[in-house]
Amino acid sequence: MIHQPPSNAGGARRRREPAETQPSSPQARRLQWLAEALLIVGLVGLQPALLLSWVAIGLTVLAGLKLLEAKRLEERRLVGLLQLVSAGVLGAFQADLGPSLLQGLAVFLALAGLLALEAGQGPDWRLLLRRSLQVVAAALPVALALFLLMPRLAPFTPISDLGRGVARIGLNEGLAPGSIASLAANQEPAARVSFEGGEPPAAADRYWRVLVHDRFDGTTWHTSPTQRRNGDGSGAAPAGTPSPQAQQLWVAEASGLEAVPWDGAARPLGRELRINGRGELLHGGRSSQRRLYGLGTSPATGTGWRRIGPRPLDLFLPPGTNPQLEALGRSWREAGPAEARLAVAERWFRAGPFRYTRTPGTLPLRAPLDAFLFERQEGFCGHYASAFAALMRAAGLPARVVSGYQGGTWVQPLSGPGYLDLRQDNAHAWTEVWIDSRGWQRVDPTTWIAASRGGGVRATPTGGPLGWLERQWWALDLAWGRWWLGFDREGQEALLQRLLGERRNLVGAVVLAAVGASLGGSVTVLGWLRNRPEGDAPRRELERALAALARDGLVPEAGETLADFSARLGRSEPALAALLEAMAEPYQQWRYGPGPRPAEEARRLGARLHRQRGALERELRRQPPRRPTT
Amino acid sequence: MNFGKTQQGETLSLGMRNLYILPTRFGLLWLAGMALLQVVAIQLESNGPLLLSFLMLGLFLLTLHLTHFNLQGLEVRCGQPAAGFAGDTLAYPLRLRCRGRCEGLRLRLGPGEPDQARSLAAGDHLLTLPWNPAERGRMRPGKLRLLTTAPLGLFVCWSRWDPPMPQLVIPAPRSGPVGRAQAPELKQQGARSGSRGSSGGDLWHDLQPHRPEDGAGRLAWKLLAQGRGAHAKRFLAPMAEAPLLTPAEGIPLERALEHLCAAILRLHGEGASYGLQLGSTSIPPGHGPDHRDRCLETLALAPRTL
Repeated sequence: MIHQPPSNAGGARRRREPAETQPSSPQARRLQWLAEALLIVGLVGLQPALLLSWVAIGLTVLAGLKLLEAKRLEERRLVGLLQLVSAGVLGAFQADLGPSLLQGLAVFLALAGLLALEAGQGPDWRLLLRRSLQVVAAALPVALALFLLMPRLAPFTPISDLGRGVARIGLNEGLAPGSIASLAANQEPAARVSFEGGEPPAAADRYWRVLVHDRFDGTTWHTSPTQRRNGDGSGAAPAGTPSPQAQQLWVAEASGLEAVPWDGAARPLGRELRINGRGELLHGGRSSQRRLYGLGTSPATGTGWRRIGPRPLDLFLPPGTNPQLEALGRSWREAGPAEARLAVAERWFRAGPFRYTRTPGTLPLRAPLDAFLFERQEGFCGHYASAFAALMRAAGLPARVVSGYQGGTWVQPLSGPGYLDLRQDNAHAWTEVWIDSRGWQRVDPTTWIAASRGGGVRATPTGGPLGWLERQWWALDLAWGRWWLGFDREGQEALLQRLLGERRNLVGAVVLAAVGASLGGSVTVLGWLRNRPEGDAPRRELERALAALARDGLVPEAGETLADFSARLGRSEPALAALLEAMAEPYQQWRYGPGPRPAEEARRLGARLHRQRGALERELRRQPPRRPTT
Repeated sequence: MNFGKTQQGETLSLGMRNLYILPTRFGLLWLAGMALLQVVAIQLESNGPLLLSFLMLGLFLLTLHLTHFNLQGLEVRCGQPAAGFAGDTLAYPLRLRCRGRCEGLRLRLGPGEPDQARSLAAGDHLLTLPWNPAERGRMRPGKLRLLTTAPLGLFVCWSRWDPPMPQLVIPAPRSGPVGRAQAPELKQQGARSGSRGSSGGDLWHDLQPHRPEDGAGRLAWKLLAQGRGAHAKRFLAPMAEAPLLTPAEGIPLERALEHLCAAILRLHGEGASYGLQLGSTSIPPGHGPDHRDRCLETLALAPRTL
């Protein structure tokens, strides 16, 4: 009766499995640290000027500190949750392909850490990884069903103000070329555009306008406060048109400007886009973030702004700020109509000893344009555009300076559609002149200058193999952006429209059904995986036979061998015992016999045991049902 | 979680009818985190947090089932518990049969926090759980709580069972005075051996190298004569007067039983013979583990008053 000698009874905490005495799962800690490291890497690209960035930074730091000091299970769980939330908040700011992959991995590791935490010391790495993949994969269908079908709410407050005031490299609302001594080469990405039809416009037509500077104070061209003449310039910007039909898909990098690049002719698609009276395309999204938008090219209805007549502001030249320039401009008034004055100006520029340079030095604060036109006579696009616009105003023609991008590099990636790559190097300024018969007319005085621009259209992509890799990556990134950023409220609306058509009122039932079905499917698969017998075919057959016997209450005792069990069974159920023995004997010979066990033999034995199991189950069914005993 | 009907019976078979499941505090916090991400996603019109919050919701709904799966189909029965001493932490054996993999299982006998989580593969397992008996006798360890929060800690699934198999709890050994009564037959035996005079040489049971202080009386002359070296005989010293242990007079019974337990263990350790007289129960002198266990069992099951 007393199995354990009492003299030994003090050591009562004896465990069978040595692993159980380990304190807690070391895997969980490692996984959580790994997730934390990824999140910290993800923080690098955040905009510190944004309040919400600090939420993400705070959450990540909090998770790290908690992880440092956490001892108890509850605290370690909290770390996992903090990591998930901070990955989510990061995802709101960085939606590019690279950061998204990073965030996805961090989420997976945080979940695996939670799983390891709960599973205790048991599972090894492989088992843990498999289990984590199983659980995440099982939850994904539900998440995707909700993501695709659950109707989305509009933001609680307007969002476009959140990212204001963030200065970015690139275009500025004030254009004062005289204050810039040299143009640094800046390879930072500005925007990418892919064309549904395939081919980009001809090189000469690649002018991508962003800002229109219409207020001149003698030295600097400013963008006057936006005229809220909504719809005036946009023709008919159809609201709610799904972006998937876009013929130009633009990805504009964060710029801090509401205005985004466009060709000045296409039709904006999507509610967040608006063309103002100056012909700027304004995007309602956050300017501190990459923005994605689509433009339709046919019918080209986005040209209405060209017909919006000039205001007095477009003719205003502060008197006396650049006296020589004013005198020259006034002298051209006699030339006749607008076209004639333009021609005179072009001839004057072409005849002059003007030279294009990226390092012109700064111009004096007093009468800078006089200094440029009549003394230095060298400069870059900003100089020519602003001097020309001022000259035109002096000549009595409404004129303004437009800044944006020109040219771009056509990139044909290994797979997927090609795209035009615009860098900050492609930044350009040109002039628009009002001609009564034609509206606002683009004039680029820089092209008149001999040995024209050094920047602008680059003939071949630069950067060597790294540059090539970068362009391939951006092609992937563009495809990702098209798919990921493109699926917004409008995109979802279009999907629901396609799925449900007129029966939009059924959307609640459809969401519930989809969630129910995907959850049911996942639970079924996981339940099957859990109860699936492990091992080779003969082993599985034997397990199934034993399970069939167990359903009738015929269960081996703990520690009872198969032979003992069938002997015991033989006393009460000789027929069943014989059938079981017929299975057990070849199995044991195969399993424990000498020599190798080729796969072919296992298959054959499996098939044989399968037949015998059928016989056993038939015999069980034939007999009167037993009451399951335990 | 520690409420719900306590299951009875030889075997505990866990299924729909005897498992309870509720969200944990962490589960509620998880929902709050999910709601926060929803707000971020809606306000910033961002797909990343939106998908993540739906993934968290999906995991929440899924783990409701997965946590239940962990205990569903689990069969628990008692093993054969070995005897132990009151005041010690005893090991109570349990046999578990898992139909599938059972993750994050935590067990506890009696009140207190459940132990470390463990994951069991499908098949049979023998586990021992610690518990502290309050008093001697055939004691049942109290309610067994089985719970799991795996895989993500969002839900806790539990069940309670009263394991029926009692464990023998012997009074804790404590040195102190014990009463001794002479066993009648031993008295005769002792008289007989006394009459045999110096032939008591048969009663020694072991040899050890002879030391000068052992004296000539204990020297094994025969071996010395055979040239096998000087050995001293070790005698079963009190064999001649094997005591019949009784509770000491004037001491509360429970305390006296503890003294008896210590005495039995000491005598057994010395290899001596002893008997036990406890009220009407009398065990004649003897030795060996079986005899010791019989005596200790008698102590454990002794009536509260003699």
